[in-house]
Amino acid sequence: MKTKEVTIVSGKGGTGKTSITAALAALSPLGIVLCDADVDAPDLEILLHPEPEGEFPFMGMLTAGVDTDRCTGCGKCEDVCRFGAIKVTGGKARVDKNFCEGCSACALVCTVKCIAMEDTRQGTWFRGMTEHGPMVHARLNPGGENSGMLVQLVRKVAKEIAESSGAGMILTDGPPGIACPAISAITGADAALIVTEPTMSGRHDMLRIADLCRRFGTSAAVVLNKADLSSEGSRKIEEACRENGLPLLASIPFILDVVHAVSQARIPSKELTTHLEPIWRYLQGM
Amino acid sequence: MPIKPLTVAIASGKGGTGKSCVAASLMVSVPGLMAVDADVEEPNLSILLGAEPYASSLVETLWPVIDSDKCDRCGECVRACRFGALYMFGKAFPTPNDLCHGCGVCSMVCPRDAISETGRPVGEIRLCRAGEMTLFEGRLNVGMPNPIPVIKATLDAALAEGRDMVIDCPPGTSCPMVAAVREADMVVLVTEPTPFGIADLDLALQVVTDLKKPSVIVVNRADLGDSDIDALAGKYGTRVAVRLPFSRAVAESYARGKPPASVDDQWKEAMIAIWETAKKAAGR
Repeated sequence: MKTKEVTIVSGKGGTGKTSITAALAALSPLGIVLCDADVDAPDLEILLHPEPEGEFPFMGMLTAGVDTDRCTGCGKCEDVCRFGAIKVTGGKARVDKNFCEGCSACALVCTVKCIAMEDTRQGTWFRGMTEHGPMVHARLNPGGENSGMLVQLVRKVAKEIAESSGAGMILTDGPPGIACPAISAITGADAALIVTEPTMSGRHDMLRIADLCRRFGTSAAVVLNKADLSSEGSRKIEEACRENGLPLLASIPFILDVVHAVSQARIPSKELTTHLEPIWRYLQGM
Repeated sequence: MPIKPLTVAIASGKGGTGKSCVAASLMVSVPGLMAVDADVEEPNLSILLGAEPYASSLVETLWPVIDSDKCDRCGECVRACRFGALYMFGKAFPTPNDLCHGCGVCSMVCPRDAISETGRPVGEIRLCRAGEMTLFEGRLNVGMPNPIPVIKATLDAALAEGRDMVIDCPPGTSCPMVAAVREADMVVLVTEPTPFGIADLDLALQVVTDLKKPSVIVVNRADLGDSDIDALAGKYGTRVAVRLPFSRAVAESYARGKPPASVDDQWKEAMIAIWETAKKAAGR
């Protein structure tokens, strides 16, 4: 059987992606592999407590480094850098690694060839084993670059593990937003589950991530979380799903015990069991 | 001497902790502020402020154009591009793709001077108004991978106004968040007292400390968890400025697109206190 990958996204943060991913993992009738692709704010491990099996550096793109002994401070590098990442201060060029995109324009124009592109560690990725299956996760260094590349890396490793172990499904906890990390998390996945909430912001953001899924050819379905916090908001989400051809798989009420379970770093599986059944039916029918 | 305008960024590691609620509540509690929505992937501040767009301008990045009369398909540009953004299929001319960062290296290395650059829209800045309030909203086009040019252009346009302002930042701790807080005099970090909130706050505090920005912490839904945020704040030399309890009335008003301070006086007082703290931090 071919392994299927489901990525859980939301557009808007804080709608409940991670809690739902963990609860789905705990209730899975299949062999699964877990992947945390929210490399900026990786929280899945807090609920799943993986037993560490390995820790590896993530190098990302090469970035510019200046040999200050040889730098003449001519400023040609500063002129060509379009990211404001290299500036001459005190007669020497200095690179702000937070902003260097690694394009190498500065190295190309340097008159004394004192700029070299160098390895830059941008984060760390991990392999572990949870009660519910193997897990791959990562952490970008705070302020780091290339989150999309790191997302691709953890997904690739999760896929290799799933294929070698014969797992039927990969559950990928995705990042918020719609830019490079979100694009990297949904591209090539078999399905995206969009977790939303019955707010105007939730609806707005759901439609943007649904549009992104459509553009990248990933089929999307919606899970409405905290549905009873606004009946009007819920009705508007249902309407938006209908109008945009998005299957609404489940409406989950606001359950205080879910919040308490998360506060105790525990998977809210028993609190969510009945609500997740239609989601499993959908995923198994894919 | 004119007083330097004050810029306060509202950020968090974890999404959904209440950044936009704090930003919108500051706007309705402290008169005379201007707002910037730098969460360009999912801009929500206009919803909470009830602000309507009245003007907009495109944000463009540079994009290579290959002159097929001059190009001899030598492949130098493809080899020089570090983003894999130029591709040659067989003997076809190089074609740019969405991975392009607009760095200009391809045109720099082309031995035949066959590559020029043209602007390509990646997003827009919307000027929005609600009563007396002005909002600069950055909005990334769906499908575009890089939000940074839109964040920068929106901030530059807003900073040119020279007014006191509140910046609603994107979640996370990577380059978009750094770009949004870079210009701030003070950063307000919004969190919740759960293990998720505290883990992501720790990462956000590392960034803010690295950027040498003064900060305060707002603990939202403070009664829905018991993580020790004071200890974490102390480790980074910052403090919790205010704790706001979970309130169904606040959640319901947020669902309808109304900021918490418009229905809850505790929020309003907290926002006024935070603005006073920011003024002090900036030496005003």
